[in-house]
Amino acid sequence: MNLKKIITLIIFFSSLNTLAFANFESEENFVSDFAASAINILGNESLNNNDKNIQFTDLVMSSIDMNLISKFVLSRYWKTASDQQKISYLNAFKEYFISSYANKLDQYSGEKVVIVSSEAAKKFVIVKSNIVRDGADTLKIELNWRLLTRDDQTKIIDLSIEGISLIIAQREEFQSFLSNNNGDLNALINRLKSINAKN
Amino acid sequence: MKSKLVLFFVLLTFVVSGCASVTKDQIVAENIVTQKVSDPIEPINRVVFSFNNVFDKYAVRPVSILYRGILPEFVRNRIAYSLVNLSMPITTINNILQFEFGKAGISSARFVINSTIGILGFFDPASYFGLEADYEDFGQTLGVWGIPTGPYLVLPFLGPSSPRDFTGLLSTSLLDPTYQVGNSANRDLFRSYRMGVGVINFRSENIEIFDDLQNNSVDYYAAVRSFYSQSRNSQVSDNLEVSPSINQDSLFNDFEEFELDDTYIGPDVSISYPE
Repeated sequence: MNLKKIITLIIFFSSLNTLAFANFESEENFVSDFAASAINILGNESLNNNDKNIQFTDLVMSSIDMNLISKFVLSRYWKTASDQQKISYLNAFKEYFISSYANKLDQYSGEKVVIVSSEAAKKFVIVKSNIVRDGADTLKIELNWRLLTRDDQTKIIDLSIEGISLIIAQREEFQSFLSNNNGDLNALINRLKSINAKN
Repeated sequence: MKSKLVLFFVLLTFVVSGCASVTKDQIVAENIVTQKVSDPIEPINRVVFSFNNVFDKYAVRPVSILYRGILPEFVRNRIAYSLVNLSMPITTINNILQFEFGKAGISSARFVINSTIGILGFFDPASYFGLEADYEDFGQTLGVWGIPTGPYLVLPFLGPSSPRDFTGLLSTSLLDPTYQVGNSANRDLFRSYRMGVGVINFRSENIEIFDDLQNNSVDYYAAVRSFYSQSRNSQVSDNLEVSPSINQDSLFNDFEEFELDDTYIGPDVSISYPE
């Protein structure tokens, strides 16, 4: 009897949650459009892997702020870099970034993105979502999108999976590599190039 | 078992009364400060990390591949759910230690429903009643009590940890009720099931992710360190009802500098598509 009451209460409160108004409707739409386009490409069986790669990369590059991300992960080393280093780094990092998902696009197996809510975080907007998998739909994965709108253009700055921010992880990795290599940016650029050459 | 529990609650009273003056905001601030990973014994950690990678390469990874290859997805899902179910009693204890009595009600109700209607936890009817799974361990509880995580540690075989999480792990192995079930033979079976299958289940779900990290990281050690500490921090801030994204905000403080740095826009990079 008691348990029944508790369950009813919980269902009541969780339904209240989903009825709450979207705070940032345009940002939520941006994310759901992006996810829908991505799933369209990944789930399209008439595309071969190369075509998937081309279309997916076009979508990603038009949706993220690659320039800001590149500078941010390099952090203080960006400020002291020469123009030549900046060009080499931006090229190498972009290729590294693209190759991080290339060859993995065929691993997509029907996962869906469900938008949960959105909130302001300083100048950013965070859209919270869950990744759900068929057959284990109650074991969901939390995926948060950090968006920034500049000059009326909304772009993805970061993805955070179960509380792990990818851009922060990338920055810590680069900072660690650089501090173990006497802050030599050329060493990082060469490392990126050698990884890119493998892929 | 009983005396252990009594001892624990006596200790708990001391800890809680000691922490009573610490406010939630202070704890959150503490967690944000410690989010800059402290790693004073990095050279030693790197050696243990390499050792663990060899152990993974020759033992854990091959077994995980076999596991995924032999068992159909349906069976693997059942096992994953039963592991979640077995973690509910210790979650309930931690809910209570964190004064989250509502959550304690949910996790204990989940355990009762899924162990019975859900056939020993192999199915998850509780979620359909709106009782969603949440996992708590002692490391998180210590974090909620305001105990700082301490320096990053890589433990042999066990992997990434910290003094706080290692203390939590030891307490869990002492106090988890599902480790105390049955006579000695059953108990060992239970423990092996949870520990062994838990590791292999987790590893088998992440084979490609780890392969990729290992092959394509600029600094694999630093990547894992960041993943681990970010994940633990966000679990604790979740418990303190601080949105993890808000918690991350401080890390984006110098973002503005780069945003304003439009003097150098960068080349229009041509994209090459790997085959």
